[in-house]
Amino acid sequence: MSQGASILKSNRKNFLYGAGLAAFAVLPWTLGAYNQHVLIVCLFYTMMAASWNLIAGYTGQISFGHAAFAGIGAYVSGILAVKAGLNPWVGVAAGTVAAAFFGLLVGLLCLRMGGIYLSLTTLGFSEILHIIINNEYEITRGTMGLQVPGLTTSYSKISYFYIFLVGAVITLTIVYKLVHSNVGLNFRAVQNDERAASALGVDVVRTRLLAFTVSSALAGMAGALFGHYMMLITPHIPSLDQQFLVLSMTVIGGLGSFVGPVIGAFCLEILSEYIRAWGEYHVLVFGLVALVVARFAPKGLVGIYKAWRGKKRPETA
Amino acid sequence: MAREDDLKLVQGVGITKTFGGVQALSDVDFEVEKGTIVGLIGPNGAGKTTLFNIVAGAIAPSSGVVRFQGEDITGWSAYKVCRRGIARTFQVTRPFGEMTCLENVAVGVVNRQPGCRRSQWTVLAAECLEAVGLKDLAATEARHLNVVQKKKLEIARALATRPELLMLDEVLGGLNSQEIQEAVAFIQGLRDQRRLTILWIEHVMGAIMQATEKVIVLDQGKILTTGTPTEVVNDPRVIHAYLGD
Repeated sequence: MSQGASILKSNRKNFLYGAGLAAFAVLPWTLGAYNQHVLIVCLFYTMMAASWNLIAGYTGQISFGHAAFAGIGAYVSGILAVKAGLNPWVGVAAGTVAAAFFGLLVGLLCLRMGGIYLSLTTLGFSEILHIIINNEYEITRGTMGLQVPGLTTSYSKISYFYIFLVGAVITLTIVYKLVHSNVGLNFRAVQNDERAASALGVDVVRTRLLAFTVSSALAGMAGALFGHYMMLITPHIPSLDQQFLVLSMTVIGGLGSFVGPVIGAFCLEILSEYIRAWGEYHVLVFGLVALVVARFAPKGLVGIYKAWRGKKRPETA
Repeated sequence: MAREDDLKLVQGVGITKTFGGVQALSDVDFEVEKGTIVGLIGPNGAGKTTLFNIVAGAIAPSSGVVRFQGEDITGWSAYKVCRRGIARTFQVTRPFGEMTCLENVAVGVVNRQPGCRRSQWTVLAAECLEAVGLKDLAATEARHLNVVQKKKLEIARALATRPELLMLDEVLGGLNSQEIQEAVAFIQGLRDQRRLTILWIEHVMGAIMQATEKVIVLDQGKILTTGTPTEVVNDPRVIHAYLGD
């Protein structure tokens, strides 16, 4: 009886998710070019925040190198397209693999340290990459930006919207599958208590390395897609500005929750379009809001919503 | 000769550990025979938990050798020691607070049986919770448990790793005498029904007297004596170590 009810409930939930996704998929047809662009950028940040959440939210490793891995994906794909004439789609795949490879290297180097040392090392890695990109003008075109071909033969925002929608769905599916697998149990065990986890047979270093590599690969894919969409890759993609924007989105939306980063990405990206006039100060404001959220509502908007719903309908809690 | 070695499930030879200038353990030899319950006692700071941590791979000894079923496991990582068949509880409990009790136990299940499906680990983890009497709290997040329940959860998680050797670190703390009786019967049941070997740190002497076949006494990082519970409590050196002059 109760099992039947829960199946009905989960069917209804799946139906609602499906209907929501379908409604979202037709949305760009009703919008102008500018709003279509905003949606595409929202989907890019969804990929970034969801993949950062995989390491920060589910295994408790605060990496500041996520934007750098997106940059690796973008530049590897872009440079291969420009210098080697490679098909941009092959480039996106290569960029993803390159980001995974560098993720693995950085991971091997510093995951044994954990905690603040991981944060500092990834921060350093991010800055080194930024400096290299700025200075290797012959290859990267420095701050001028590297002009790269698009992913489609004829440019249309609608087709990019669908490309990014598929990218976001792939990213979210991978995160969901991982978190709900046996590996996901290990992720959360490591985040809760490393010593207890290892006493129960969890290979802590390998678990963190897996999360870090997958997360970096997903960031690389997002960055590569974004570069080809903008058709201009600048050092802004692997910048700390981007890093802290992604961090703010995840923390404000809900660190360690599945939908939190999606909500954070959409809210903050749409909001930052409205406060564009403030220039770069909006990242500062988001950072401050993220700090306040982290202190007073560590589960973000999702946590606030759940607490509110729990109060309203205590019998379902 | 080989058969005699088979009887020793765990053996420590010359285990020494220094932290900075502090000699926590010096030249400790011990063995635990298969199928027995062995008590490890001693005053506070004697080095009992340090010895546990060394056997469990949480820390490496400065020198000395730990053997499990004749295999040298000295300096192995904790997760490898666990997968080899040694489980331990923590004196200060370390539950995964944000996870449910069932998920806490499931971590132990899935790492000993890789590829185990959710439907399988749900059943196996529920069995372990039932064994310690926490079945009704399966869906409760571990941070909501009280101290005694957290200790039970420690044991359930350890059992989930299907150990041959179970190391218990002061699991009776906070229990009243009635509960201690039940806990002693439960621990003896683990040995008799699950064919476990148990190495047990405990301050509750009554429980040690009742449940163990052998007692190892540590004092100031050295083995003071080893013997049956009755021998040990009547040993003047043990009384001296506990009570002073």
